Amino acid sequence: MTRDGQQDPAGRALERVLTLMNTRYNLRLDIDALCEEAHFSRYHFIRTFRSRLRETPHQYLMRKRIDRARELLATSDMSVTDICFEVGFESLGSFSSLFHRTVGWPPSVYRARSFEQRRSPRAYIPACCWTMFGFEESALRD
Amino acid sequence: MTATISHINLFVRDQKKAYEVYVTKLGFRVTTDITMDNGMRWLTVSPPDNADIEILLAEPYAPMMKADLASHIRAVLDADGMPGGVWRTDDCEKAYEEMKRKGIEFLKKPTKEFYGIEALFRDGCGNWFSLTQRPPKG
Repeated sequence: MTRDGQQDPAGRALERVLTLMNTRYNLRLDIDALCEEAHFSRYHFIRTFRSRLRETPHQYLMRKRIDRARELLATSDMSVTDICFEVGFESLGSFSSLFHRTVGWPPSVYRARSFEQRRSPRAYIPACCWTMFGFEESALRD
Repeated sequence: MTATISHINLFVRDQKKAYEVYVTKLGFRVTTDITMDNGMRWLTVSPPDNADIEILLAEPYAPMMKADLASHIRAVLDADGMPGGVWRTDDCEKAYEEMKRKGIEFLKKPTKEFYGIEALFRDGCGNWFSLTQRPPKG
């Protein structure tokens, strides 16, 4: 984001905010807390964030949470409810609805599809592509 | 015709970024997302209104193709110069506003051309597309 922190104080401030959002996305991070981290007024913060990152702070935070939820759904055995709270949502309804809207599937369906795709990749990847992509023989024999 | 296209390939610089653009911003649905033993990620998405076609978002690397060919393709992607295709819309201005709000970068605002109203945008992954509204028939 910054080419030179000395000459780009706004970029440096946004980097601080992004570090906070990337590491503590599961906490209640309201706009006031983010503005405080950046030392910006609310208006200036939202405007700067949006012009540099091409999304609002809220959209960025939701994306982080959904990304982490995707990962946990695909790789852990935590329940959907636990994942919802783990990534920072306070309501299962709003989590499920946003997840569905963003990823295209409800969380439980996404999880089932992820497991199934990993278990039987041949059912999802055209056979002709196996060689082309160099997928291992062991995976082929699944 | 007894055959139809089921998978098409779209080269991207970075699959993670492509996921963000196509799924999070443009509303495509993840159809398949499998990381194989060799580390390659098979990531396909489908347009929101057409689940029958899967677009493979692939980074150009061997063994999918020879290394020198892959490097040529990467150079085109790095220059944001890969022509990705055409998006059809019934309302170019509205689609332009919606996509812009979602952070899509436009190279050309909706402009009246002899073939309709067209805007051009980048996907941020190396490709550019035309967004075209055809002129009314008659």
